[in-house]
Amino acid sequence: MLNRTDLAVTAILLAICGWLYYLTTSFDAVSPLFAQDMPPERFPRMLLWVIGGLALGLPFEQRLRGAKGKVLDKARATPARPIVYVTTAFLVAAVFGIPWIGTFLVLIAICIGLPLLWGERRWKILVPYVLIFPAAVMVLFSYLLGVYFDPGAIGVKFP
Amino acid sequence: MDAVLQGLVLIADPFNVALIFVGVLIGVVVGALPGLSSPMAVALLLPFTISLDPVPAIAMMAALYCAGTFGGSICAILINAPGAPPAVATAFDGYPMAKRGEAGRALGIAAISSISGGIISLFIFLLATPLLAKIATSFRPMEYFALAIFALSMLASISGKSPLRNLIAGAVGVLLGTVGIHLTTGVERFTFGMHAFTGGIGFVPVLIGLFAVAELLNQSQAVDKAYERIKDLVVKLPSRDDLRRIRGTILRSSGIGTFIGVLPAEGATVAAIMGYNEAKRWSKHKEEFGNGSPEGIAGPEAANNAATGGAMVPTLALGIPGSATTAVILAALIMHGFRPGPYLMKETPEFVYAIFAAMILANFMFLGIGLAGAKIFSRITLVPRTFLWPAVFVFSLIGSYSYGASVFDVWTMLVAGMIGFLMLRHGFGPAPLVMGLILGKLVEESFSQSMILLDNKWWRLFESPVVVFFFVLTVVSLAWPFISAWLDRRKQAVAVATDPVGD
Repeated sequence: MLNRTDLAVTAILLAICGWLYYLTTSFDAVSPLFAQDMPPERFPRMLLWVIGGLALGLPFEQRLRGAKGKVLDKARATPARPIVYVTTAFLVAAVFGIPWIGTFLVLIAICIGLPLLWGERRWKILVPYVLIFPAAVMVLFSYLLGVYFDPGAIGVKFP
Repeated sequence: MDAVLQGLVLIADPFNVALIFVGVLIGVVVGALPGLSSPMAVALLLPFTISLDPVPAIAMMAALYCAGTFGGSICAILINAPGAPPAVATAFDGYPMAKRGEAGRALGIAAISSISGGIISLFIFLLATPLLAKIATSFRPMEYFALAIFALSMLASISGKSPLRNLIAGAVGVLLGTVGIHLTTGVERFTFGMHAFTGGIGFVPVLIGLFAVAELLNQSQAVDKAYERIKDLVVKLPSRDDLRRIRGTILRSSGIGTFIGVLPAEGATVAAIMGYNEAKRWSKHKEEFGNGSPEGIAGPEAANNAATGGAMVPTLALGIPGSATTAVILAALIMHGFRPGPYLMKETPEFVYAIFAAMILANFMFLGIGLAGAKIFSRITLVPRTFLWPAVFVFSLIGSYSYGASVFDVWTMLVAGMIGFLMLRHGFGPAPLVMGLILGKLVEESFSQSMILLDNKWWRLFESPVVVFFFVLTVVSLAWPFISAWLDRRKQAVAVATDPVGD
C-alpha cells in the first residue's frame, strides 16, 4: 500500500517542515500595527503547511498512479554508485580549498582531479586540457570581465 | 511602431549581432550535447552577461534559448539520445529515418520545421505581448496573487515524473524566496545569523547548482557511456514533396507550441510531445510513425521551437516565467534592474522588441549554422564526458563566484547541486523549484498587499472576477492530472471493448 522510500521522504520533509515551523516562532516580534496584520511568520507558515500537506500524499502516489507510478522508482532503483560520493567529496574539498590555495589552483585541481577520478588516463588529452582550459577561463573572467579572484592564504595568484 | 524600429536598431549593432551569434553557437552545441540543457546553459551564461548592457545580455540568452531547443534535435536524430528534453519526441522518427540512410533529410526537416515554428510564434509574441501587458496594467495585487498561484499550480501539469512532486518542489522554491529580510517589517527570516543570507538566497548560485552540479553528479555514474553515431552525413533541405507533406503539421504544431509556451510554467517538452501526438492523429500515414515519418519529426520540432516564442510572452508581459529557461531569463532581467511585467512593456517597449528581433535573428542563424555545421555538431557527442563535466563544473564555480565575488555563493551552488541530485533521484525536478524561487517574492508581496488592502478578509479576494477566473483555472490545472488519467483509462476501456482480442 505504502511506498517505503516515499514514506521516508515524507518523514524527512515533515521533520524539516516542523523544524522550520519552530524557527518561525523565534522570528523577532513586531507590533500588529507596524506589521499591518501581516506578521513576518505568516507566509512561511502557510507554505510549510502546504508542503507538509502535499508531502503526506507522497507514500500513496505510486499506488494511486498504477503502472505510471513505476517511473518514480526508475532513478532510485539502484543505490547511487560510490563514485557519486567520491565526486561530491572531491567537489567539497575543491571549494574548501579556495580560501587556501586560491581559485586558479583549485580550477587546475578540478581539471586534473575529476577526470582522473573518473578513470580518464589519456594523458595526451589530459595534459593540454589541464594546462590550457583553466588558464583560458581565468583570462576570460579576470581580464575580460574584470572579476577579482581570491589568491588564497598561501598567495598563489593568477599571473 | 517607433518602439519596434528602436528595438531593431538596438539589435542591429554589430556587437550585439556578434553576441547573438555566439549565443546561437553555444545554444546549438549545448543542445547537441546529451545531459546539457538550455536552462543550465543560460544559468551558466548569466554571470558572463552581468557586465554587459541589458539588451545584448538578454538577447544573447534568448538566442541561446532558441538555438538550444533546435540543437537537441541533432543528437536525437543522429545518436537517438535527445540532447535536450524537448527533443525526446524528435528521436521517435528522426533516428529511424537516419538509420535508413536519410539522416540529412531528417535534419533538414527538423531545421525547417524549427525555424517555421520559431518565426510563427515570434509574430504571435509580437502581437500578444503588448496586448497582455495592457490588460495586466489594470491588475491589482489581488489579481497578481491569483495569477502567480495559477502559474504555480501549472507546475502540476508540466513535464516531469509527478505532479505532486512538482508542486512540492515549487512550494519549496517559494519558501526559499522567503529567506532574508521581510520587506514589510524588516525582520530577518531563516538567515541562521549569517549576514550573506540577509539579502535572500542568490538566484544565480541556486540555478547553477540545481541545473549544472546536480546533473554533473548524476552523470558521474555514467561517464563511460558511448553513443553510436550516424556517419556519412550530408544535410539536405526538405524536398517539395516533404514540404507539401509537413506544412499542415508545421502550422498546427506551431499553434500548439505557442499556446503551450504562453501558459505559465509549461515549456517546450510538453509542446513537443503534444505536437508529435497531434501530427500522428492528423496524419494520413499513421503507420509510418515510429519508422521515420517526416511529420513525426516536423510535429515536435515546430512545436518545441514555437514554445520558445510563446514562453517569452508571459515572461515579459506578466513577469511570470513560461518555462524553466525563461525563469532564468527572468532572473537575469531582475539582476539587470528591470521590473518584468506590464511596466516593462509600458516603460521600455523598445527593449521587448529588441528581444523579439534577437530571437528572429537567432532563428535564421541556427538554420544556417544547423544545416552547415550538423556534421561538426554531430561530432560534439564524441567529446569525452570525463573532460566535458569537469569543464561544466569549472564554469559553475567561476560563474557562481563572479556573481558576488564571494566563496559563500560557491558553497550555495554546491549545496544546491547536492540537494538537486537527491531531488532528481526521488523524482523532484529542478525546474519547479526554480520557478517557485523566482515567483516567491511576487507571491508573498502580492499576498501581503492584498491582505492589507482587504483588511485581512481573504474571502474578499473573490470579489474580483479576474481573481475568480484565475482561481478556476488553478482548480482546473490542479485537477488536470486526474482528469487526463481518467480520460486515458476511458480511452483504453473503449479500445478493449471495441477490440477485445487485441487484434
